[in-house]
Amino acid sequence: MPGLITVVLFFALWEGAVRFFAIREFILPAPSVILGAAIAIWPTLLGHSWSTLTTVLLGFGASVAVSLPLAMLIAASPMISAAIYPVLVITQSIPKVALAPILIIALGANEVPRVIVTFLVAFFPLVVAAVAGLLATPPELIELGRACRAGRLQQMLRIRLPFAVPFVFGGLKVAAALSVVGAVVAEFVGADAGLGYLIQTSMAFFRTPLAFAAVVVLALMGMVLFVVVGLVERVVFPWSSSAASVTSA
Amino acid sequence: MIRIEAVGKVFSGRDGSKVTALDGVSLDVAPGEFVAIVGASGCGKSTLLRLVAGLVPVTTGAVEVAGQRITQPSAETAMVFQAPTLLPWADVLRNVTFPLRLMGRAGGDTEDRARALLATAGLAGFETKLPRELSGGMQQRVAICRALLQQPRVLLMDEPFGALDALTREEMSLELLRIWQQTGAAVLFVTHSISEAVLLADRVVVMSPRPGRIADIVPITLPRPRGFEQEGEAAFHAAAQRIRATIYQRVPHAA
Repeated sequence: MPGLITVVLFFALWEGAVRFFAIREFILPAPSVILGAAIAIWPTLLGHSWSTLTTVLLGFGASVAVSLPLAMLIAASPMISAAIYPVLVITQSIPKVALAPILIIALGANEVPRVIVTFLVAFFPLVVAAVAGLLATPPELIELGRACRAGRLQQMLRIRLPFAVPFVFGGLKVAAALSVVGAVVAEFVGADAGLGYLIQTSMAFFRTPLAFAAVVVLALMGMVLFVVVGLVERVVFPWSSSAASVTSA
Repeated sequence: MIRIEAVGKVFSGRDGSKVTALDGVSLDVAPGEFVAIVGASGCGKSTLLRLVAGLVPVTTGAVEVAGQRITQPSAETAMVFQAPTLLPWADVLRNVTFPLRLMGRAGGDTEDRARALLATAGLAGFETKLPRELSGGMQQRVAICRALLQQPRVLLMDEPFGALDALTREEMSLELLRIWQQTGAAVLFVTHSISEAVLLADRVVVMSPRPGRIADIVPITLPRPRGFEQEGEAAFHAAAQRIRATIYQRVPHAA
């Protein structure tokens, strides 16, 4: 609720400032103008949003599907960790904006390179969080597993992985937000639809209100994803979310 | 049931230094017998327990449980650690059944037996609670139920009440005795409390440190069922005095 008040105040201040200082629309449109622009091209905006959401979800899904097994491999043995981690760090040192055009030349201007860019932006924090969780499993629990004659795979799946769930969800929240960033970066470079594409084409014609409308939808998309991840955590893994949520339940 | 024969254990530090934790320890525990191990810290009593559990290998000598030489954890033994070590994500019932499910030994009656066992331990109605919703004493009760559900022939307990307050500790000791007498498991119970050892055990093994050796084995002849009123009896005092004398004679600075 206090958050909502802050947001409303922010927009009110914005609206007031634009009107008071008579700022021109292509430099900074007022929120009311942005809303008007959004309503005027509502179906188009929805289509672009859908296109971006597809890329975001595919990239996010791919990063989850790759990160968790990868994290388990890294946590399983120091040798594998030593072999894989430097490669991961290298992939993170490459700016994804620089990589996007190369991927699009190589793979064509279709969904695949966009999903790959999204994946590359989103998966690293998820791997790091999952590895941290897997390795943070208390030695007593590992010992309990050993006393129960659990093998290495059982130890990983039945003890380390469940223990890592709160860590994984921390990573998932970051990855969800970054997926939106990754998808837009990819759309800037090579796309014929999507909110990133819409922002670029709008700005080329100084249709600033439209670009702002796309930005607002992107922000909403990121927020909704973040909230959904949090909801899944609370519903499916109630023990994972902090103790406060349990006492309030 | 447990046969410990001339067991020695040497730990090597990272710098190549060697520490002899146990030296020439021999002990037999009969089926259904309750043996307590006491000694100053660093006397290797926990190490001895972990050797029997198969969690660490012996350096010399041999450990047998139910006639089987121990090289890895055995299905005949169950362990209770000092901390409850419950799975934070699983409710009480799933925590208790976890070892059996992990070992693929859970049957149709596992859950019913678990409920019955929890009821015996005064935890009826807590089956669906998460560990963090329980007090420390209740958590340790869950851990004991978890060990007992495996129907072990050997129960290994490493200072199981060490983290509890004094009152809970006394209450838990009596409960443990009551439940143990129904199961007939042999118990190896590590503690640093002399009175706890005398109250619980058929025999108290007194260990001396550096290197860990058995200094004395004190038979406790107090009749069962045991209770705290026996602490006033002469036999209780005599046993406790004998143990205390052995410990302090070996560690003159520890007083």
